[in-house]
Amino acid sequence: MTKNLARWSGEIVGLHKTPRSFLPMKNFRCLSLIAGVGIDGDRHATGEAFHSDRPEEGRQITLFEEETIDALLRDHNIILRPEDHRRNVTTRDVPLNHLVGKKFKIGEAILEGTRLSTPCRHIEQITGLELFNQLLNRSGLNAKIIVSGKIFTGDEIRMV
Amino acid sequence: MRNRIHSVTTEIVSIEDDVNNIKIFTLSDPDGWPLPSFMPGAHLDIYLPSGLIRQYSLCSDPNNKTQYMIAVQMETEGRGGSSEMHNLSEGMILPVSLPRNHFSLGDAKRHIFIAGGIGITPFLSMLPDLISKEIDWELHICAKFGEKISCQSLLKKYEKEPNIYKYISHGGNRLSIEKVISKIKSDEHLYCCGPSSMINDANINGKALGDRLHFEKFGIDEHLEDAAYQVVLKKSGSVVKVPKGQTMLGALRVAGFDVPASCEGGICLECKTRFLAGTPIHRDLVMQPSDRKEFITPCVSSCSSESIELDL
Repeated sequence: MTKNLARWSGEIVGLHKTPRSFLPMKNFRCLSLIAGVGIDGDRHATGEAFHSDRPEEGRQITLFEEETIDALLRDHNIILRPEDHRRNVTTRDVPLNHLVGKKFKIGEAILEGTRLSTPCRHIEQITGLELFNQLLNRSGLNAKIIVSGKIFTGDEIRMV
Repeated sequence: MRNRIHSVTTEIVSIEDDVNNIKIFTLSDPDGWPLPSFMPGAHLDIYLPSGLIRQYSLCSDPNNKTQYMIAVQMETEGRGGSSEMHNLSEGMILPVSLPRNHFSLGDAKRHIFIAGGIGITPFLSMLPDLISKEIDWELHICAKFGEKISCQSLLKKYEKEPNIYKYISHGGNRLSIEKVISKIKSDEHLYCCGPSSMINDANINGKALGDRLHFEKFGIDEHLEDAAYQVVLKKSGSVVKVPKGQTMLGALRVAGFDVPASCEGGICLECKTRFLAGTPIHRDLVMQPSDRKEFITPCVSSCSSESIELDL
């Protein structure tokens, strides 16, 4: 299983950040990742996130699978734009749910998965979409940044 | 004190004086980042520096993604919110809630609006939406004797619209709500925002419209003259006495139960609670009839039975 898992290779299909809680996420072609801190200009790095009163080392960057966006549309007729899932990186072909405790390379940077993201009502409040149940078990991954670097859309994601 | 990260941070970028002691506030993100979007008819909770929370309708175009506008009329006899708002200055940071909407546009072929005084505000966010979608509308604006039509600077862009009718309550130029309602067709909706007397008039004359009548009014017009009663809390197994002259919310707080509440005027529904038994007297201003069969707003509502059971 570990052997197979090591063989996958995916890519970044979207990059997103916002400076403060509740504000819409904007799409970017490039983000700068700072080891031990977060994404330059993102609310998790500046203590301006909704959960910043409960700081968590493992929430420096968050990732979300594009396959979930596809599934929401296919199975529930819910249109969720990549900038609406409130995570920083939209991935394709990356088994995020298997990366807790694992290190993986993303563009120039290296991340370590810390825990699975859990859906929260906060997303429903912001998007106005009823998403909570549909995102159970596929709400993305929280990670910490081990090695700083710039990441671009189209960059490869793979195991270290 | 509210944690800043649990609200939308805005900066007051301009404050403009309008007629009738109204100030129009323009809010934006301190860095010009887009703000959370809103639907026509939505309002914001404003978290004032003193801790007061007040609701104001958004009166800007929902398509403007970087600015919110609200209009606040000074109420010298009010509960203090408008007076504090009028003392704010440009450049100040003002935390607000996500936009919320209890006065949304229905699915209609044509929308008829009746605004009384500052009640014009929610319609100012509806008009741009309807105009861009080429949906028919008609707006009746009323002002009290001695006052002018409110929010004139925001209405300027519509001066060439042929379907806006203005009424000042003197000299025989008074709006007949009955007459407006009598012309409403089955695929049209009526929206009314203004003082209690206007809403009551619309409610009496517009009963037959059912869910096609939408209204939003200001403040609380009922006095707490209800007899004392008790609240039975099912989950906690407690009984709380509500003496005459006290709100259900107030009595619950005194008894140590922290029920989340915001406007305390029956508008925001933050305190909306399921009731399981008893006969409620609903005094909220926005709940749909179907919701009233299940929920009550303890901030303004009470009960006509000896007790009411809540799912708390």
